[in-house]
Amino acid sequence: MQIGFLIIAMVLSVFAARLVQLQGVDPRSYAQMAAAEGTQDVVLPATRGEIVDRKGRPLAGSVDGRMIVADPKVTSKVAPELATILSDRLGIDYFEALKRLRAEASRFEYIARQVPASKAEKVVDEIREKFKDEKGRPFAGLMTERDPLRVYPSRTVAANLVGFLGTPTNKGAAQPLAGLETSFNRYLSGKDGEARYTVGAGNQIPLGDNTITPAVDGKSLQLTIDSDLQYYAQRVLQKTVVGAGGKSGIAVVVDTRTGEVLALADYPTYDAADPYDYDKDLYKSSALTDVYEPGSVEKVLTMSALIDAGLAYKDQKFKVPGKLYRQDRPIGDYWDHGMLKLTLAGILAKSSNIGTVLAADQFKRGQLRQYLERFGLGARTGVGLGGETKGILPNGSDWTSQVGDRIAFGQSLSVNALQMAAAVNTIANGGVRIDPSLVKGSATTDGGVAVGTDNATSRRVISEKAAHETMLMMERVVDPDAGVAPRAAIPGYRVAGKTGTAQRVGDNGGYDGSTTVSFAGFAPADKPRFTVYVVVHSPRAGSGGGSTAGPAFAELMSYTLRRYGVAPTGAKPNQTPVEW
Amino acid sequence: MSSTAPQPRNRLPHAAPRIAQAALQRARLSVVPRRRSRAPRMPFVAFVSVILLAGVIGLLLFNTSMQQASFRETALEKQATDLGVQQEALEMDLQDLNNQERVAAAAEKLGMVIPSTPAGVLHLGSGRITGNPTPASGADRLPLRMPGPRKPASLDPKQVTVKSGTADTAANGAPNRDR
Repeated sequence: MQIGFLIIAMVLSVFAARLVQLQGVDPRSYAQMAAAEGTQDVVLPATRGEIVDRKGRPLAGSVDGRMIVADPKVTSKVAPELATILSDRLGIDYFEALKRLRAEASRFEYIARQVPASKAEKVVDEIREKFKDEKGRPFAGLMTERDPLRVYPSRTVAANLVGFLGTPTNKGAAQPLAGLETSFNRYLSGKDGEARYTVGAGNQIPLGDNTITPAVDGKSLQLTIDSDLQYYAQRVLQKTVVGAGGKSGIAVVVDTRTGEVLALADYPTYDAADPYDYDKDLYKSSALTDVYEPGSVEKVLTMSALIDAGLAYKDQKFKVPGKLYRQDRPIGDYWDHGMLKLTLAGILAKSSNIGTVLAADQFKRGQLRQYLERFGLGARTGVGLGGETKGILPNGSDWTSQVGDRIAFGQSLSVNALQMAAAVNTIANGGVRIDPSLVKGSATTDGGVAVGTDNATSRRVISEKAAHETMLMMERVVDPDAGVAPRAAIPGYRVAGKTGTAQRVGDNGGYDGSTTVSFAGFAPADKPRFTVYVVVHSPRAGSGGGSTAGPAFAELMSYTLRRYGVAPTGAKPNQTPVEW
Repeated sequence: MSSTAPQPRNRLPHAAPRIAQAALQRARLSVVPRRRSRAPRMPFVAFVSVILLAGVIGLLLFNTSMQQASFRETALEKQATDLGVQQEALEMDLQDLNNQERVAAAAEKLGMVIPSTPAGVLHLGSGRITGNPTPASGADRLPLRMPGPRKPASLDPKQVTVKSGTADTAANGAPNRDR
């Protein structure tokens, strides 16, 4: 009897010890091992959101993709045949494929990545059938695995803004390398889900364990860009830059009333569908990342500020000498002249630096800077693209009287192209500056900032009257007799604009003799709808804002007006005198 | 209530008359021999077995049909995926065909250009035309493509132009190979 109890006690203690081992020491791993027996975990991939233009046309889309992997132990026997088929059908390199199909001491080799699923499955299915083994089993040397594929159907159109994704990591995570794909990566990517279920013979067992965490798809990003207009802008810009022998160029089209950027073209740019063929330096929008000195286009801001502050008016008479001697060096105009009798409008229409400096002498200290700041210079536009520059607006002791003189006509300060377009748009919009936006609605960047048209703010910079008077002066710029840019005129429409030819800071960090020519303007002048800004860097010597950027402005503006069905207002251009 | 009922009856024997005694005697319970009734066992066993069998078979059938549905679900899911992939491929083709560059090149082949001249506005109703409509001309032609990427010279061989008409041909027009 006692021996019996003893045996029972011993057996029970063994059970107890095992229980402690199972439940006490590492219960989780055992539970997982039990669950893994016959269960399958599947990642439910979240679809990355699309990037579409303002009309919903895709600029970047996600497609089900596959990677094709090989088991060289199986494939080495038929490597040449396989490599022929694969290189023919998928366009991969024959020799590279051959090398990988024959790789020694390896059981896993990537053959092709990011192939559209339909194509990959078809090729692999065919190969499976074609190279059956002796027992009639399908060929087991090639497999496909999920490899999300991002497509850029518009290729070069808006590539500077959209950016692109690099080859995904081996786990399938997206690797954004440029543009909005980078700055809105989190917004676009969504969250992968997970499903776990019991399987038998490849099928889900209906009453087995079954848990599903659904994937949360990424949100789509709608841009304010009109891709057709963007295409046209890129083409016109290319023609202009190449025609002028320039180094690079920028074209911006902004909707005057809403601040929506309809087109933002950079030249040269790259092909988002095939980016690795292009220089890495092109993976950006230089309209936002690069600074330059705006030149005479800035005079528009100086003049409007003068008028708003009540320090000048458009018919005000100025005597403009041929040279103006100031502290460090004489200020000259781009053309030689003796004493001229110009009105304020004439100074703008002829783009006289001397006249502008004389007019700007009326400013109190710091007053011009305040206005320029209100116009948005020296601060990022914050449209949502990474790497944007603030530009350089001298401050405090840097703003000496010489610097102040030069800033009045657009030198000694630096801007990015979108800043400048938004500043000129302020005058078009009756003196109210509206934040430019690239995103329609609202979206949050990876930096946690909500951007987009819903978040765009506006502020009054100059009075409506001052804006109107500035517009009247700008209209004289495109006048065939009075102005310097008759080729920027659009027959039938009233156009207001301003040319710019600035000394350009070269690669050595100082003025190298090259220039930046530009033209900014809006139309219809009496009821503005669009602001267009064209910039060409380093054109061949002798190119001017009016002759180089002016025609591009006219082409781009008339296309935009036609595209959006804007009728001419029918009014005649004003005839403010330029001389007295 | 039932506990109070028997008490008067127990007291009755001492107080009741004879006739009542006799009646009482008759009414007293006595042990009766057990009646052995043999209910037929077979039908019940058969009934239970049938229910059990039907249950098991039903469950089996239900399970089988569930499995069948699961097979079908897997097959249909695969079909849906295949069709989805096919749709994606077709959409990609469509987007390629829709590409601005391609459309512009096709239009140019037909002799069209993108007009850069200002348009007029036709006012429906009055038939009046405002603006300054100008027909587009060949001067409006734009470069439709971006120049390709710059390649290093070693990857960008010079084009070789073959001049026609200089080949040394035999009398029958075939190239003369045995020189």
